[in-house]
Amino acid sequence: MADLRLENVSKRFGDVQVINGVDFAAKHGEFVVFVGPSGCGKSTLLRLITGLEETGGGRIFIGGADVTGMKPSKRGVAMVFQSYALFPHMTVEDNIGFGLRLAKLPKEEIGRRVAEAARILQIEDLLERKPRQLSGGQRQRVAIGRSIIRDPKVFLFDEPLSNLDAALRVQMRLEIARLHKRLGATMIYVTHDQTEAMTLADRIVVINRGRIEQVGSPIDLYDHPANRFVSGFIGSPAMNFIDVNEHGPENCTSLGAGSASIELDGCQVAGATAIGIRPEHLELAGPEEGDFPATVEIIEKLGAESLVYLQFDGSDLPLTMRTSPEHPLCAGETVHVRFNKDRIHFFDRDGKILNRP
Amino acid sequence: MVDAAAIDRPLRDFNPWPAVIVVCLVCLAVLFLAPTLGVLLSSVKTTRDIAFGELWTIPDTLFLGNFGEVIANPAVHRYILNTILVTVPATAASIALGVFAGYVFSKLPFRGSDVLFLILVSGMFFPPQVILIPLFRLFNTMGLIDTLWPIIIVHTALGIPICTLLMRNFFATVPNALREAAILEGANEWQVLMRVALPLSLPAIAVLATLQFTWIWNDFLWPLIFTNSDEKRTIMIGIVNLKGQYSVAWGVQGALSLIASIPTLIVFLFFQRYFIKGMTMGAVKG
Amino acid sequence: MKGVRAGSRSPIFCGARRMEQSNRFWRTVLLAAPVAVFTVFVIWPLLSSFHYSFTNWNGFNREFDYVGFSNYAKIVTDKLFLNAAINTVIWMVAAILLPTLLGLGLALLIDSRVPGGTMFKSIFYLPICLSAVVVGQIWVWIYQPDWGLLNTVIGLVSGEEFRYPWLAKPDTALGSVIIAWAWQQTGLSMVIYLAGLTSIPEDLIEVCEIEGATAWQRIRMLIIPLLTPATVVVIALSVINSLKGFDILYIMTGGGPFHSSDTLAMHMYNESFKKYLMGYGSAISVVLFLIALTIIRIYFRQLRRVDEIYG
Ligand SMILES: Nc1ncnc2c1ncn2[C@@H]1O[C@H](COP(=O)(O)OP(=O)(O)O)[C@@H](O)[C@H]1O
Ligand SMILES: [Mg+2]
Repeated sequence: MADLRLENVSKRFGDVQVINGVDFAAKHGEFVVFVGPSGCGKSTLLRLITGLEETGGGRIFIGGADVTGMKPSKRGVAMVFQSYALFPHMTVEDNIGFGLRLAKLPKEEIGRRVAEAARILQIEDLLERKPRQLSGGQRQRVAIGRSIIRDPKVFLFDEPLSNLDAALRVQMRLEIARLHKRLGATMIYVTHDQTEAMTLADRIVVINRGRIEQVGSPIDLYDHPANRFVSGFIGSPAMNFIDVNEHGPENCTSLGAGSASIELDGCQVAGATAIGIRPEHLELAGPEEGDFPATVEIIEKLGAESLVYLQFDGSDLPLTMRTSPEHPLCAGETVHVRFNKDRIHFFDRDGKILNRP
Repeated sequence: MVDAAAIDRPLRDFNPWPAVIVVCLVCLAVLFLAPTLGVLLSSVKTTRDIAFGELWTIPDTLFLGNFGEVIANPAVHRYILNTILVTVPATAASIALGVFAGYVFSKLPFRGSDVLFLILVSGMFFPPQVILIPLFRLFNTMGLIDTLWPIIIVHTALGIPICTLLMRNFFATVPNALREAAILEGANEWQVLMRVALPLSLPAIAVLATLQFTWIWNDFLWPLIFTNSDEKRTIMIGIVNLKGQYSVAWGVQGALSLIASIPTLIVFLFFQRYFIKGMTMGAVKG
Repeated sequence: MKGVRAGSRSPIFCGARRMEQSNRFWRTVLLAAPVAVFTVFVIWPLLSSFHYSFTNWNGFNREFDYVGFSNYAKIVTDKLFLNAAINTVIWMVAAILLPTLLGLGLALLIDSRVPGGTMFKSIFYLPICLSAVVVGQIWVWIYQPDWGLLNTVIGLVSGEEFRYPWLAKPDTALGSVIIAWAWQQTGLSMVIYLAGLTSIPEDLIEVCEIEGATAWQRIRMLIIPLLTPATVVVIALSVINSLKGFDILYIMTGGGPFHSSDTLAMHMYNESFKKYLMGYGSAISVVLFLIALTIIRIYFRQLRRVDEIYG
């Protein structure tokens, strides 16, 4: 049974259609990540689910019940805000127990459940402190503590890690994954960071301009993106895109690159206007096997691998290639590059994918 | 399509609160407006009507005789002129001094400037009665009692705390880099203040001008202490004085009160935003 | 003169020492007038008050004698002083409670995003820009025994003629003036609270919505505690303004009847400028000063505590 189901949900602010007919269902215990560029409507979608924002159309079901138009507190959801939204005048203990105190539960039970949540999040020592006396990571834990204590049907996270520094972000990411495993609860997690999405998600929902572009597992999205937007958004460094020449030779894809062109023999998809290829599917080759010559512009040595930024000769087409660090390359050098032809994605004029590499 | 979905959306629980709140607010607003309305009504009614208990009803005809009487009274002209002669220079002077001091405290701080600043600003908190007697003696010795000078001077001096506070806080938001750039261009400090900092701080000056103007125009205590002849009275004292003269001429008093409030009402109507800002920026004058 | 040259030359050509010289020059020039005016007309009189409080100056003669602590001794025995002090405390307590509670209530109502919020705000705020003289006059008419609004309304409600002279009875004079004063001050508290309300982060309110707080729980557990900084300012303003409370009393009752509405400020005025006991008046003003000083110190201590929590 689905814990969360959205049916044709939409929302507009004034003249701007921010959410556009979203259909989606999350299974029980699933970790779903909504990812998309800033301003695409992720937060709005989350706020529609919580009920903080009234839906403009469509229905929302949580735990099988239609909650459209219901008060936020009746929906059985908990939300962790990007800003943590901790009450500055309350101790950590009171912050975590806030919802239970509102519900007028007995003091002992509140104390017991707060202690339990604090133990899970390893903040037992901080219970007497005020939020101002906590570090960013600790505040984040308190905010999560406040959400888990109510045993909600669905957890909602709105970019919870974006206020943390890089190292802490990686650590908290792991902890959230651990927490999910431990609680086994349905979690909806919003981020603009595709790395976060890839590492955390059971399923990713890619959103662009208020619409769902694609839903799938991280690997699925990476290997089989449905369109050019998803291809470009998922994966770092991003996929390389090259336009296809309209009047290329038969049975061959001719790629336009300024004055010169690249001919890919024996590989053609009707109607393709552009191709995409991931950096790891470009490889160095000898002058004979190579599909095209290119100049090495910059090499980023990351240790385990190197990222090579190439300039196809006679054009300003930038390409990124992922290589093993053993290759002795230096900037300015001319190399020959080969396409892994099985892994080329073909896109039509509208950006829809045409093949399944 | 979206609209169709919107129609079959289940209705939200009916929320009666906004209606209740509006009703509460309207009742309170009527309560709050009633006194002001009373003055308005009295000014367009004859004293006879008022005496017969007709003050609080909406009149059928507007009686403008009260205004005529007030406007024709040369004493009123003098009161208003005196008030302007006090308010305008004192407002300008206190703001100018506040600008100077505020600039130094924010852009040219020195050792001990914090303490000096605190001393200046704390002047805001003390009841004016504390300095009443020595000032009276001082101006008496200088032979300035029953002139407008002591009023102007005291309002200037008592305006320094608030003006310094607001200007310092405002200048603090003007980037230091602007001052440094101007100085590298060859400007001296005076030019930086007049050509760079001041044009940027017009909003703060508007706040202070509205605040000081209202406060000085409405003041009652200082003219009461420092003037005693009718020639030198300001309008607020004039209202009280004329009360004796007209004894039970309530309609005339109403018209006079209204006329005396017009300048501050205009300031309130057009500069309300600045006014509120000044009041909430830690101002204590009320 | 030397300073002028140093200051007007372009600092590009002077060293850091020259720069500091120029700064010192401009500091002096700019601070001279404000500091001089403030010192002569505020600080010096303040200190002189202490001086005069040990004299028997009568306000006319140049000369006076030093009378030691006798003015202060008089304060202790002066029944009218005690009466004025009690009235000042009553005035202050009412001045804290009425405008603060009313202002908070109004701010909460207006902040609930009802239509016409700006208009309501202006209406409640309007009295602030009226002078004490005009406000006093308005309220004198409201309390007027024969045709005042209050008696008229009571008459209408009860159905029989009502002619109570509110301001002329010792029992009700002070209270009546306090109401008038609260009417004027409430708008100030309201705008300060409104400013405080806008500084409460939206997401905290949203947490309340998600966690299912009722409106009352939200106000009690979240909004009022978070408005503490605003409350500190409002209370400080109320206390300080109430210490100054003079104009409106002077207009409405003149401290009467039978000193029933005297405050310390009023008492000080009467002793100094009616009885011409300037020495005694100075002693009263010194007491006023010390009270104000104590309150200000408490205020700043609270402000620092609040800052630590809400900063
Ligand atoms: N209350 C609002 N009123 C008007 N426009 C809004 C409101 N909230 C969000 N928007 C607009 O809706 C779009 C989506 O916002 P949001 O959901 O916050 O994006 P995201 O969280 O994906 O960055 C943005 O263009 C934003 O400007
Ligand atoms: Mg967002």
